[in-house]
Amino acid sequence: MSEIINNKTVFSLIEVTTSIQKTIAARYTSTFWIKAEMIKLNLYTHSGHCYPELVEKRNGKVIAQLRSIIWKDDYNSINNNFLKILKEPLKDGIKILFCAKISFEPVHGLSLTIIDIDPAFTLGDLEKEKQETINRMKEEGIFNLNRSLQIPMLPQRIAIISVETSKGYADFLKVIEGNPWNYKFFHLLFPSILQGENAITSISRNLKRIKKVSSHFDVVAIIRGGGGDVGLSCYNNYELAKEIAKFPIPVITGIGHSTNETVVEMISFSNAITPTKIAEYLLQKFHNFSVPVQAARDKIIDKSRRLLSEEKTKFGSEIKLFRSATKNILIEHRNQVKSEAGSLMRQSLFRFKNENDLLQDLRKRIKGSVYLTCRSSRQEIKQLALNIRNIAVSLFRQIKLVLDQNTHQITRSAGVNLATKHTEIKNIETNINNLSPANVLKRGYSITLHNGKAIKSYREIKAGDVLNTVLFEGNIQSVTESSQKPKEQ
Amino acid sequence: MSDTTKYTEAFEELQVIVSEIEQGEISVDELSEKVNRAAQLIKICKSKLTKTEEDVNKILKELDSVTKEEE
Repeated sequence: MSEIINNKTVFSLIEVTTSIQKTIAARYTSTFWIKAEMIKLNLYTHSGHCYPELVEKRNGKVIAQLRSIIWKDDYNSINNNFLKILKEPLKDGIKILFCAKISFEPVHGLSLTIIDIDPAFTLGDLEKEKQETINRMKEEGIFNLNRSLQIPMLPQRIAIISVETSKGYADFLKVIEGNPWNYKFFHLLFPSILQGENAITSISRNLKRIKKVSSHFDVVAIIRGGGGDVGLSCYNNYELAKEIAKFPIPVITGIGHSTNETVVEMISFSNAITPTKIAEYLLQKFHNFSVPVQAARDKIIDKSRRLLSEEKTKFGSEIKLFRSATKNILIEHRNQVKSEAGSLMRQSLFRFKNENDLLQDLRKRIKGSVYLTCRSSRQEIKQLALNIRNIAVSLFRQIKLVLDQNTHQITRSAGVNLATKHTEIKNIETNINNLSPANVLKRGYSITLHNGKAIKSYREIKAGDVLNTVLFEGNIQSVTESSQKPKEQ
Repeated sequence: MSDTTKYTEAFEELQVIVSEIEQGEISVDELSEKVNRAAQLIKICKSKLTKTEEDVNKILKELDSVTKEEE
C-alpha cells in the first residue's frame, strides 16, 4: 500500500519487491534453457544449496551477470550426473547449459533457479578449449619443449609457485625439510593464485619473474593443494601452457586433483600430481644420486680390501713357492756339484793310476832295452878287440916273413960283396958301433918296454899298464895315463 | 652451472672407478691412487647432497633490480 509523503507517492521496499516478484512470475511462467559461464559454484556444504555466479563474456569482458541458485536436491542430482559423464564434479569456471526458472525474491533479488544442467555441453566446451590448446601447441612445436629439458642430477634449488597458507605448500615443505637423509634443498616461494581465471595471469607473472633469476634455480614447482578440484580449467589455457612449455628450466606440477590431466600437466617436465609427490620425486632424485655414491663407497672399500687380501695371499704363496723352488734348485745344484766332484775324483784317480802304470811300463822297457843295448855293445867291443888282435898277429907274421926274406937277400948279396965290401964293412962296423943302442942311449934316446918287450905303437898300451923305460944310465918305471894315436895321422 | 658440472662429473667419474674396480681392471699399484680419487669424489658428491650456497637476499635483490628495469 503506497502512502503520500510530502506530495509524493511512496512505496515501501517490500511493496516494490513484491510487485516485481508478481510481475516476473506472471511474465516468466515456464522454464528456459540458458547458456552461461559459471565462474563460481558457491556450494554451501552446510545447507547443501548452491549459489552459482553466472556471467557472459565477450572479448574477455563481462557483458551480463546474474546470480542463481541450485537447491540441494537439484544440485545432488546434477552433480551426480556430472560425475558420471564428465568424470568430475560440478565446479567453478565452466560453461553450462542449464534449465532455469526466473524468479525474484524480495530479500534475495533476481535470480535464476537452476533445475538442471546439461553435462554434455560443459564437457564439450571444456574439451574443446583443452583440445584447441593441445593442437595449437603441437602445431607450433612447443608441446614437448619443457619435457625435453635435462633436469640436473640433483634438483636442489626450487622456485615454488604456490600459496603460502595452502595445505599443499605445507605438505611439500614438510616432506622436503624433514627428510631423514639430511638432503639440503634451497627453495623460494613465488606466491600466486592457483585456480580460477586469475590464476593464468598470476602464474604467468611469477614465471616471468623466475625466468629473470633462473640461473639460481634447477626446477620450478607449481604446488596447489587443499583447494578442491575446482577452477582448474585455467591449466588448459593456451597462454599459460605455452609459458610453461617454453620455460628454460624444468617445471614440475603438483596441482593435486583427480580429474583428467590438464594441458599444463601434460606439457610440464613432470606431473607429480600432488605436492607430496613432488617432494618425493625430488627426494628420489637425491636418492638416485646418493645411493650409488654410497654403494660406490661400499663397493670400493669391499673390492679394495678383497683385492689387497687376494694380493697378500698370492704374494704369500709366491714367497712359499719361491722359497721351495730355490731350495730345490740349491739342493739339486749341491747334489750335482757333489756328484761332479766325486766323478772328478774318480776320474783323476783313474788317470793317475793309468799314467803311473804307463810310466812304470816305460821304465821297465827303457831298462830292458838299455840292458840289451849295453850287452850287444859290449859284445861288439869284444869282437872288435878280438878282430884287432887277429889282424895285428897276422900283420906281425907278414912283416916277419918280409923281414926274413930281406935278411936272406941281404945275406946273399953280402957274400958277393964281402970282399969288396970288407973295408966298407969295417967302416960300417964303426958306424954301426956308433949306432949301437948303448951309443944311441948315450945320445939321450930311451927304450920303453912293456912286459920285457919294446913298444912301437900306442895300440900296444892301455891306461894303467906299467912301463919300463931303459935309459943310458938306469931304468924308469911308470904307469900309463893314456895312449893315443899320433896327431898327424 | 659449473657447480652442477662439477658434481655430475664427480658422480660419473666415481661410477667409472667402481666399474673398473668391479671388473678387476685396477691393479694393486693403481689402487691407492684410485681409492684416494674416489674418496675425493665421494666427498664432493656427499657435500652437494647436504649443502647449498644459494642466497635468498641475492636473488631478491636481483629480482628487484630486474623488476625496476621493467617498470
